[in-house]
Amino acid sequence: MRASSPERWQQVLANSAYADALRSRDSSINAFLEIDTDRRHSHGDGTSPAAAGPLAALPLAVKDNIAVRGFGLTCGSRILANHISPYDATVVARLVAAGMVPVGKTNLDEFGMGSATEHSIAGPTNNPWDADRVAGGSSGGSAAAVAAGMVPLALGTDTGGSVRQPAAFCGIYGLKPTYGTLSRYGLVAYASSLEVAGLLSRDLAILRAAYEAASGADVMDQTSVSLPDAASRPSDEVRRVAFLGGELGLDQRTAAAYRRMRDVVAATGAAVEDIELVTAEAVVPAYYTIAAAEASANLARFNGVRYGERPVFAENPEALVRQARTEGFGDEVKLRILLGTYVLRSGFQEQYYQRAQRVRTAIRRELASVFARHDLLVLPVYPTAAFRHGEAELTAFQQKLADRFTTLANLAALPALSVPGGVCDGLPVGIQAIGPAFSEARLMRFAELAAAELPPQRPPGYEIELCDEVIPGGRT
Amino acid sequence: MDRSEIDLTAELALLDMDSDERDRLERGVLELLEYFAAMNAVDIRGLEPTTHALQEGNRLRPDDPRTDPSIADDILEQAPDLEDRFIAIPNVL
Repeated sequence: MRASSPERWQQVLANSAYADALRSRDSSINAFLEIDTDRRHSHGDGTSPAAAGPLAALPLAVKDNIAVRGFGLTCGSRILANHISPYDATVVARLVAAGMVPVGKTNLDEFGMGSATEHSIAGPTNNPWDADRVAGGSSGGSAAAVAAGMVPLALGTDTGGSVRQPAAFCGIYGLKPTYGTLSRYGLVAYASSLEVAGLLSRDLAILRAAYEAASGADVMDQTSVSLPDAASRPSDEVRRVAFLGGELGLDQRTAAAYRRMRDVVAATGAAVEDIELVTAEAVVPAYYTIAAAEASANLARFNGVRYGERPVFAENPEALVRQARTEGFGDEVKLRILLGTYVLRSGFQEQYYQRAQRVRTAIRRELASVFARHDLLVLPVYPTAAFRHGEAELTAFQQKLADRFTTLANLAALPALSVPGGVCDGLPVGIQAIGPAFSEARLMRFAELAAAELPPQRPPGYEIELCDEVIPGGRT
Repeated sequence: MDRSEIDLTAELALLDMDSDERDRLERGVLELLEYFAAMNAVDIRGLEPTTHALQEGNRLRPDDPRTDPSIADDILEQAPDLEDRFIAIPNVL
């Protein structure tokens, strides 16, 4: 089936049936924590003269750890259950300036910590391909909303794969850009040196336009970076492509899709070479050490005093803070805070945190040497396709080990794009490409090459996107 | 890590745990700490630590007031309890 045209999406907000159709479709998916399409949040209607470009009037879904003025900002956590954002994140403000209209906040693992969008006060999000399976995480709501045809574009965050893995599980594109190119102002911080805002879409043209509109330095974010001039950025040539080789521990679907992608790339005439990384075994340990350490510091701000949930009575200030945190945080968040506090304690810092930072240097150097010889590094996103709800197929610990392909790009601050790699036995499989810093155009060129053979597909039951469902004359 | 270590760590993190929760979280922390030993296989001699992989210098902006008239009210609305325009916290004296 043909992709829905962006023009149809641009008309959908003018149609009063959209809001009900969105709610109706979400009832079996639970992608959204909050839906509001009536633009009462003073975000304009996307029709201002300044917003006449390709993003004008397009509905936008936003992960609920990114601030949108007037919408909730729960981060999927009890401690922020009633928090309303008083301001817009810079990425949201820039997309709104380009004409997009926020229509809802999407489900996530609490504070972005998880791989399944199951650790949330709103309950789990279901995968549109199979409701018994997870949508991935932590941006599972954003990925499911796009895959089920509810919105053309969604914002997520990617600290260790949280945009790319759910995009892979749901069969769409997921871009984790170069660190700092999308401002983090208005993202609720979890692991500041690793996390980025990211974009999810089924449409490459919309993805590209959104990245161009939202990227660039921001005075409100010390860690934002200026994009080099177009002429100084890496070219979009995809001629020498490294594939991660060796024993990768993939399930059958993923192994088949990965082989297929290798054939597709080789057929374009690119030189394909299998490589191995000597730092591979240390990637996830370094990632979780650093992420937990930064989380324990960032989440110290949630104490129930100035905002957020807190007990009605406490004996003293410390008891108030203890009780607010103890009741407000879920298990996975507590685990990472404890782990992070431990690896930062005097006496253990050198063994864990400082070692992890040096291992991070070794990983960066190794990837730099890969990109001295290759245009891109292609590798799986996750060792499995979408797994079943609960921990029957993958325990929480195994889910962390499975971050071994995605966390590389976060540790090295490099851009990575998860692209649809075909549907195997009823489930989509995603394959990712990592490039040197600022090579987003090259990653999108790779996606175009792959899409010629492996175009994104739609989940059964969601073949018709909402813009075509609600607009008279749309395909039925 | 002996039992007192997880308790001391939770103390520092301002988290209370009942005994079930403590056992569960202790197992989770231990499982990851053991796994972190894989970092010992990497030769890190002479390597500087990476705190940020891609960072420019200080990003400064003019010290101008932001004049959104409603932002203060919007922020105060988030407080669990107010007395006039002050954020009230429970009586802890």
